[in-house]
Amino acid sequence: MTDTSSTETNVDQKLKEAYFTAGQGQLIWARFKKQKAAMVGAWVLIVMILSGIFAPFLTPYDPTVAGRNESYLNGAPQIPKFWDENGFSWRPFIYTFERTRSIQTNFRWVTTIDREKRRYVQFFVEGSKYTYLRFNVNLPGKALDFTIPGFAFKTHLFGVESGQVHIFGTDATGKDIFSRTFFAINTSLAVGTIGVFIAFVLALIIGGVSGYYGGWIDSVLQMITDAVRTIPAIPLFMAVAAFIPPEWSSETRFLFISMMLGFIGWPTLARRVRTHLLTERNQEYVLAAQLCGASAGHVIRRHLLPSFTSYIIVDLVISFPYMVLSETALSFIGLGLKDPVNSLGVMLQSVTNADVMLNYQWYFIPVIFFITLVLAFVFVGDGLRDAADPYSSVKK
Amino acid sequence: MYQFGRFVLIRAALAIFTLIVVSFIVFSLMELVPGDCAERYLAFKNTQGSPISIADIDAERVRLGLDRPYLVRWGNWIINAFQGEFGDSCILRVNIAQLLGQKFWLSLGITLSALLLAYAIAIPVGIISATSNNPYLNNSLRLVSYLGLALPNFLLALMIMLFSTVVFGDTLTGLFSREFRDAAWSYERVLDFLSRAWLPVVILGWSATAFAIQTVRALMSDEIGKLYVTAAAARGVSGGRLLLRYPAKHALTPIINSLGFDLNRIFNELPIVALILTLTEAGSLLIEALARSNDQQLAGAIIFMLTASIVGLNFLTDIALAISDPRIRRSIIG
Repeated sequence: MTDTSSTETNVDQKLKEAYFTAGQGQLIWARFKKQKAAMVGAWVLIVMILSGIFAPFLTPYDPTVAGRNESYLNGAPQIPKFWDENGFSWRPFIYTFERTRSIQTNFRWVTTIDREKRRYVQFFVEGSKYTYLRFNVNLPGKALDFTIPGFAFKTHLFGVESGQVHIFGTDATGKDIFSRTFFAINTSLAVGTIGVFIAFVLALIIGGVSGYYGGWIDSVLQMITDAVRTIPAIPLFMAVAAFIPPEWSSETRFLFISMMLGFIGWPTLARRVRTHLLTERNQEYVLAAQLCGASAGHVIRRHLLPSFTSYIIVDLVISFPYMVLSETALSFIGLGLKDPVNSLGVMLQSVTNADVMLNYQWYFIPVIFFITLVLAFVFVGDGLRDAADPYSSVKK
Repeated sequence: MYQFGRFVLIRAALAIFTLIVVSFIVFSLMELVPGDCAERYLAFKNTQGSPISIADIDAERVRLGLDRPYLVRWGNWIINAFQGEFGDSCILRVNIAQLLGQKFWLSLGITLSALLLAYAIAIPVGIISATSNNPYLNNSLRLVSYLGLALPNFLLALMIMLFSTVVFGDTLTGLFSREFRDAAWSYERVLDFLSRAWLPVVILGWSATAFAIQTVRALMSDEIGKLYVTAAAARGVSGGRLLLRYPAKHALTPIINSLGFDLNRIFNELPIVALILTLTEAGSLLIEALARSNDQQLAGAIIFMLTASIVGLNFLTDIALAISDPRIRRSIIG
């Protein structure tokens, strides 16, 4: 009896010791793990990020015009099946189809499905080529231009024996919506990363200076930050995006838009950095460092920033979906990214007409993925915020 | 009284300073647009068959005053802007104040109604959710407020349109029925407007509501555990009277303070929602000006007026707060 209780106190003791000696990261992780919703969000997010990175492999076709299926424009989703009235098959299959249009059908394409002829889904098929880590370097002077070849692959996760398979259907030009969706996730993540990074650097500099020096520098910087915050962001984006010369390539445009998102998105982050700094800079450890003769930059970098790294990470995760959504909204009205680059906004550009709404509802499938992506970010961000706050468990 | 007057004056000066900074940003953006009014006018003349030369363009620049220094033109623009005069749009060739006039007030009305709707829902719901211990209620409210972010207004508008097209066969778009579109204001037209304006108001209010519920809830749960609430409860105050008279009063002050930024957030989404629902008000005029015709005068005027109304609302809420709370009067910048 005494034996068990002493081992129990031993275990308790060990747990307590582990708790008191744990680093900040370990504590946050321990608290984060307890939140079910946030963990689910984190898994979804990891899957999304991976599927964005490996989009070229996971999707059967090139998402640009190069991969279009001319014989299946505005085609309905073809969902692979395992069985039908003609029997069961281990290998999933889709049907063959015939498209006709005539005066009887009012010149609309009408698809007739031939349920007798099956097309079986194949895995690891050879298809269009895609590359990773390929860069075109354009230095001034023709002779200096060169290309880093990177790694080229041809294998795609799945495909069909003959013709093409379109799980989510195709759009008006015959591009595969499934492939476009995955590439769009990739684009959104890239836009968000660049935008958040730029906003973060600006916020650190402006908020850092403002919070550390205080006084009149702080007042002036705060007035400017507030003025920028008063201008509604999307109209401002629109004004900036309208200046992009039409002859820019879609890649340059993509880079420019992501940078603009960062340049306009910094004020909220900067304010938070400032508030953190204002409270921290009066702490004794800062005074101690200053008395030892540390320079302002040194104090900010070595002492102040580490004191709220976790808060900054949380802020970054939370501001990520705002960047993604701004990009989507901007592309949607035609001022953001343009066609060869895929993003949700680009894909939704043409859906507002009644024809699409009545006849081609599969255009809206990507929306589900994006709601999931943003929700995952929000859940993870919220979970992280609770986990990073050392008093959250005391309060509730 | 002296203190209050000083507070109002300093706040007004700050608001005007903000407007001047904003006007500088907006004006600089307008200047960055490739091409200016002189080129536009003459390009138009060129299409009418009269040949033009570089000298003509320069002469036109002098006539329009475009050759003066940047800061002088900015000064002129802002002085006129404060008087509500934005000059002519050089693409549409009409006076901007006339063109915007009613449309801008319609937009502002829709946005303010959305804001009102958001808080009319958020304040009671937020208070209830902060005080209740029902996990289902709390979790579902949490999901709603997450969805407010994940399903932004324009996606919601698209989904509603998709749904109404498939189910009712009507897209529910526009602010007026066809017969009232250009009619003068009358009783019937107002009714027609109201029968259609509720949809944009609800859609615009959606994200704002979700966001506001979260804020109200957080502020309320911070206040509700404080000692003065316990003290009031010990004195025998209970139920709704306890909640409204003690914690709610304190919790809601920061909300009044942030109304201006809430208005900003709603304004933000107005152009896109307007485009989807084909509303013919300022928001879609802005998209028209920027996306299709590069009309910098019009775009600048709209952005400036949007910002001016946000700054104005911020100013009014500051004054309202100062009237209700003497501590704020004393702290001038706070």
